[in-house]
Amino acid sequence: MKKSKVYISAALLALGMSACTKLDEKPYSEIISDQFYNNRQEVMSAVLRPFTHAGAWAAPTGQTGYWRLQELSADQLAWPQKGRHGYDGGNWIRLHYHTWIANEDNAWNPWRLMFWGMGFCNNTIKDLTPLDFTKIGMTEAEKTTLLAETKVLRAWHYLKLMDLYGNIPIVTEVANSASPATKSRKEVFAFVEKEIKDNIDGLQPLSPAMVGRATKAAAYAMLVELYLNAQEWTGTPRWDDCITYCNKIIAGEGGSLSGTVPALEPDIFRAFANNNSTSPEDLFQLTYDLRAGNSRFGWQGDFWHYRQRQIYNADVDGNNSIVVIPSAYDAFKDNDLRKQNWMLIGPQKKDPALRTSVGDSLVLGTEEYSDKPLVFVKEIRKNAAGETGPGGMTQGEENSGARFAKYLPGKQSDANYWGNDFVLYRLTEIYFNKAEAMMRKAGGTASQEAVDLINTCKKRAFKAEDWSKEAYTTSTLTMDELLAERGREFIFEGKRRTDLIRFGKFTTAAWWDHQPSSDKYKLFPIPFKQTSINPNLVQNPGY
Amino acid sequence: MHKRSTFWAQVSIASTFLLLISLFAFSQGKTISGKVTDANDHTPIPGVSVQIKNTSTGTITKSDGSFSLQAPANATLVFSFIGYQQQEVPIGNGTPLDVKMTAGVKSLQDIVVVGYGTQKRNEVTTSVATVKAENFNQGGSRSPMDLIQGKVAGLSVTRTQGNNPNSGASIQIRGISSLSGDKNPLIVIDGIPGGNLDLLQQDDIATFDVLKDGSAAAIYGTRGNNGVILITTKKGKAGEPQYTYSTYLQREAVAKRPSILSAAEYAKIPGADNKGGDVDMYDMLLDKDNLSHYHNFAASGGTVNSNYRASLYYNDANGIAKQNGRKQYGGRVNVNQTGLQGLLTMQFNLAANFNKANLNGGNSGGGDNKAGNAGADFEQAVQRNPTAPIYGPDGKFIETNGYNNYNPLARLQQELYDRDQKTYSGDARITLEPIRDLKLSAFGAIVRDEYNDRQYKLKSSRSSVQDYKGGGYAYKANSAAMDKTFEATADYTRTVHSDHTINVLGGYSYQYSTLEKYSMDNNGFLTDAFQDWNISAGNALNDQTLPRPKQSSNKIDNTLIAFFGRINYNYKQKYMLQAILRHEGSSRFGANYKWGNFPAVSGGWVISKEAFMQDITVINNLKLRAGYGVTGNQGIPSYQSIITLGTGGPYIQYGQWIQTYGPNKNPNPDLRWEKKKEFNIGLDFSLLKNRLGGSIDVYSRKTEDLLFNYTAQLPSNILDNIFTNVGAISNNGVEVVINAVPVQGKDFTWRSDLTFNSQRNKMVSFSNQIFKTTEQYYGDLPSPGNLGSAIRVVEGGPLGTFYGYRYAGLTEDGKWQFYKKDGSIGTIETMNPDDKTVIGNGIPKYMASWNNSFRYKNFDLSIFFRGKFGFDILNLQDMYFGNKKWTPNNMLTSAIGKNAKLNADPQFSDYYLEKGNFVKLDNITLGYNFRLHTKYIRNLRVYASGRNIATFTKYTGLDPELQDTALDSGIDGRGFYPRTRSYTIGLNLGF
Repeated sequence: MKKSKVYISAALLALGMSACTKLDEKPYSEIISDQFYNNRQEVMSAVLRPFTHAGAWAAPTGQTGYWRLQELSADQLAWPQKGRHGYDGGNWIRLHYHTWIANEDNAWNPWRLMFWGMGFCNNTIKDLTPLDFTKIGMTEAEKTTLLAETKVLRAWHYLKLMDLYGNIPIVTEVANSASPATKSRKEVFAFVEKEIKDNIDGLQPLSPAMVGRATKAAAYAMLVELYLNAQEWTGTPRWDDCITYCNKIIAGEGGSLSGTVPALEPDIFRAFANNNSTSPEDLFQLTYDLRAGNSRFGWQGDFWHYRQRQIYNADVDGNNSIVVIPSAYDAFKDNDLRKQNWMLIGPQKKDPALRTSVGDSLVLGTEEYSDKPLVFVKEIRKNAAGETGPGGMTQGEENSGARFAKYLPGKQSDANYWGNDFVLYRLTEIYFNKAEAMMRKAGGTASQEAVDLINTCKKRAFKAEDWSKEAYTTSTLTMDELLAERGREFIFEGKRRTDLIRFGKFTTAAWWDHQPSSDKYKLFPIPFKQTSINPNLVQNPGY
Repeated sequence: MHKRSTFWAQVSIASTFLLLISLFAFSQGKTISGKVTDANDHTPIPGVSVQIKNTSTGTITKSDGSFSLQAPANATLVFSFIGYQQQEVPIGNGTPLDVKMTAGVKSLQDIVVVGYGTQKRNEVTTSVATVKAENFNQGGSRSPMDLIQGKVAGLSVTRTQGNNPNSGASIQIRGISSLSGDKNPLIVIDGIPGGNLDLLQQDDIATFDVLKDGSAAAIYGTRGNNGVILITTKKGKAGEPQYTYSTYLQREAVAKRPSILSAAEYAKIPGADNKGGDVDMYDMLLDKDNLSHYHNFAASGGTVNSNYRASLYYNDANGIAKQNGRKQYGGRVNVNQTGLQGLLTMQFNLAANFNKANLNGGNSGGGDNKAGNAGADFEQAVQRNPTAPIYGPDGKFIETNGYNNYNPLARLQQELYDRDQKTYSGDARITLEPIRDLKLSAFGAIVRDEYNDRQYKLKSSRSSVQDYKGGGYAYKANSAAMDKTFEATADYTRTVHSDHTINVLGGYSYQYSTLEKYSMDNNGFLTDAFQDWNISAGNALNDQTLPRPKQSSNKIDNTLIAFFGRINYNYKQKYMLQAILRHEGSSRFGANYKWGNFPAVSGGWVISKEAFMQDITVINNLKLRAGYGVTGNQGIPSYQSIITLGTGGPYIQYGQWIQTYGPNKNPNPDLRWEKKKEFNIGLDFSLLKNRLGGSIDVYSRKTEDLLFNYTAQLPSNILDNIFTNVGAISNNGVEVVINAVPVQGKDFTWRSDLTFNSQRNKMVSFSNQIFKTTEQYYGDLPSPGNLGSAIRVVEGGPLGTFYGYRYAGLTEDGKWQFYKKDGSIGTIETMNPDDKTVIGNGIPKYMASWNNSFRYKNFDLSIFFRGKFGFDILNLQDMYFGNKKWTPNNMLTSAIGKNAKLNADPQFSDYYLEKGNFVKLDNITLGYNFRLHTKYIRNLRVYASGRNIATFTKYTGLDPELQDTALDSGIDGRGFYPRTRSYTIGLNLGF
């Protein structure tokens, strides 16, 4: 009896001692990557990953990425301190003044987000290349197309990174090369050009089914941007190449979202409306749809006032951040429909559905104008304290500056509520780029063809009765005027810094609270967080 | 299978056979009887263990001190009782024995729990502190850790929300040893590693043993970096069945209210919005009639071979805030039995806790202070326009219109947030002693902790009207954690030639933990009738114009497996040596680095036992200890070493929206243990007939292979950071404990206990060949303003360093001026990150406590002081709320007082840094022991306690005692949950 108990205990102990020593991990709520890519949906989910990520840096969705650097360092938009809000460590003041340094978020976060998106492309290419598509019910042709699309999308990431940072490393594999070295801007330019050209024939043309994807039309538009800026970026002008690819797009060789050939929206506002995913004007966009996809282009955080939802009967509010610089507001004539429709100014009314009484029609402020009507003013200064003069980056109040209204979500009850896509390239820009390339070729003078291209676009912004006074002629369309009109047309679209640099104004001109800076600020510094861990990175001159 | 396990299996089987061979039975001899009395006052001592030497046969004395047992004629009896010196008496000729026991040097004979076993205090060679029930802090305690706050040198226990019944304590031993790994000590309850503190009631705890240094903690290698706290619950004792009833009533009162502008003062501020009323919202959030009560009823008893203890408790705890309560009940059962002629022992514990917490009120806020998100009712109360009435003429709540404002009283009534939690643990240990002093033991434990959260926001609530079109909002969530432990040990003790004692311990440990969570919400309800109990009734499932209902679920797990051994050698109780090795593997690390070795060695020399010390009578005990140990940390998220894909939001493909997937981390197959090496030297002393005793410990610890999310090279990595092992942190410190008995008389005794510790830490490095980080930022300052991070850690510098602008006075019109890097003075538009500099440090360098207990006849009184010194506090409350620019909100009186000249929005600089030094009169307790001459009542004590009675400090904020166990220590956040004084009256009754 005793002995048997001892035996049992001993056996139990031995069992315990020899219990399994396996320590393998099995995640439950994540996927192990080598168990993925078993069907079409899984393949597509990897191909589309960089697109959802691009919203974080290419669009104004609340992070410091490409968009913020492009707009907040330029002459149209600013994020001034408004009372106790918006100092944010001086980030936005430094962007406006051109006093950023290498060891700060303005240099690091765009790099982080954009190379991260580029890494998704590398990863998709790495994972799909060895995959046998026929085993998962797809074709080799689909594989070629999807790989081509991902490579072109990767080239677009490099194009935008080169725009900001100039000299950057080129990496096409995942975590395979330690300490990649800086390549000159010229080399990056050549890489981008080659990658797009090598893969463009494998791409699908733009069509309603391909909305939001890297199609032929998108690839042509990327080449247009590349060639338009070639002189600035490489020292060698490529005006003819620029015009060639503009023509291809205009001729419909890249496809179209509506009809066979892309066309300017007759209604200038529909290109940004909540049904713009079918706009014939759009060439490449990040597509969103709150109702169908539960995904929204959330611009409200950066632009809207704390109570702005009341204006639209929307479901979210903003952080009262980015506003229009007074001089940029004044650059629009009063009869310009874009001024009236793309910006908010003056007293703001509540959506009728939200009014509790007849007297309850105005949106009220919460800060300097607490419980008083919220009236947006173009000045950025302390009006409540009686300040006069030009104001400045630390002088804002809750109602300072005209506000963004280019994209409008519609009402909560609308079927298309917040269905807006963020437009990356649209046909209007191709018209402008072609006209600019032609003028530059001609030493800065406009031909009638160039004037017509611009007038076709501009005409939509004026009532018929005003148009005769506003139309350009070959003598009024100067280079300065072209830059000004570009500003009015593409305000809020994340292109202004590149334009100012190409026109030689970015570091030499003064605007509002900004004084001319120095040439080094045409490039952002390579972030200190990377130069400190990768000895093969070369810092840009002057930083 | 791991090869070592085979080895262990063989060892265990072989040793079991050995035991079998050597089994022997006793021949029963004659009956021997006697009586045990106290040598001093000749009173009988019940409960004394009487054992036949070299056997496990024995008995215990009855209530009159008498005993009787069968023993061989030549046997020797061993008499032992806690607090008395052990005595050996030969049976002799069989006359009744008259045994007189003398009280021993109590503290030296105390049993110290050291993990997988116990040692006597005088044999301990490492740095272990013990706190027994009689020395616990008195009064009601929400967390068991409150009981030993300030009692152990080097152990920091902080409750940043004071006595909020729904907040926990943050605890830390000897400073921060990790950046992203666990920073909390391992809690072991009755042998269950990672035990749940909710399962412990203050009346059920017998002792805390705190393993502070690496040579002690190495036996729990993997989780030993932050020290180990071993908690032992009370057990039954042989003897008469006993009942114990403990109860207390407790009330909280606000210790210090924030000084805010009255309605009249507020109305004079430029930009103020005078709405004509006069409301003290802060006052209205207080539950001034709060009362907590607690009952614990325990029954215990047993015989020499079996004993039991069972306790039941009920606790209704109410905090200072409205809707801030916690009701809990539960119990604990402990059964021990020795059978099979003393060869087989079984110990069995069951514990349960059921609690219902009202989390709606009492949120401290600070961070995201939007209504409904983690709440911030008191912050809203402080900043609410004092001229704004609560209700409008229509009886509806008035909401002020300021940024992020809400009416906290309205929110309390419109929303519901409950947590229903159930925690259980069960463990059993079977110990077989096949031959004397060889113990084979198997231990299994299961701990389950699960809770259900429920929230509802009324259709008419502000939140519902604003975000859900007035359709109400319901939320449910569940979390279930399960830990399973199996451990097997073999323990053998042998004394050779009565001078050499060797103890060998070997063991195996397996632990598997899972955490499962899910949640769901819905909105668009037709009626408030269901609250969250019919969640599919919400119309948001169908109506696309309502915010989408959300669902989530996830599960994580991890496994820990260890083999460990310990050898203790003891020569004549004079020289001791201990060696420990733990070989442990964690599933969280990379394929090639899952296993690590954690060795430790320590020694002790009892100098006072040397011949040359015998004449120095002033010294009763003097012992030198030294130890070195390696421990580890695996407290990082699971799955960091493997390549995984995560979701990236939906995107359209050919007209259809699908979820996207991409890599969600940079995998690190080389991920491995964070290891801490610690050297500790200590001196224990006891002087003047043991009237003055104490210890001094000096330690130096360095954590290497620091686990941290480093910035990765980008490109070619995909993400910008990678979890890897790079840097090192060091901590050096001194701990002093002094226990004195200045007065010891028949009627009056005064005991005085002092602890002190000093601690310095340093970020030794962040870098290796691949990863270089020169700085890390912590303590992001909140919105509005988002003024950046307050704390920067650099290579070679201390942790907790405040890094910001230096204040250079105000301009004439009250604008900020700061020093630029070059020494010139600039305004905020001209400042950039290069102009910041080191301006202070938020981690206390010194901590001290001083307890005095007095006994006069039947009265006892204890007075306890506690303090922390040598640190700075960033006063965020003053920074944000002590500023006239805080309009249209209300503000602190400092806005028109010391900050009156300021006419600019808040900026972070050393202007808002203050010295944090403080001393608290933390506990006063007065008790009375009734001496009742009745056989029904064993003891009766009543007491009254006051806690957090007074704070002596120059800090101008509410309370200088902040959380100081994290990397952003020293920031006094914007939460305004009141710190309270607690007043308790209690009664303990034994019968």
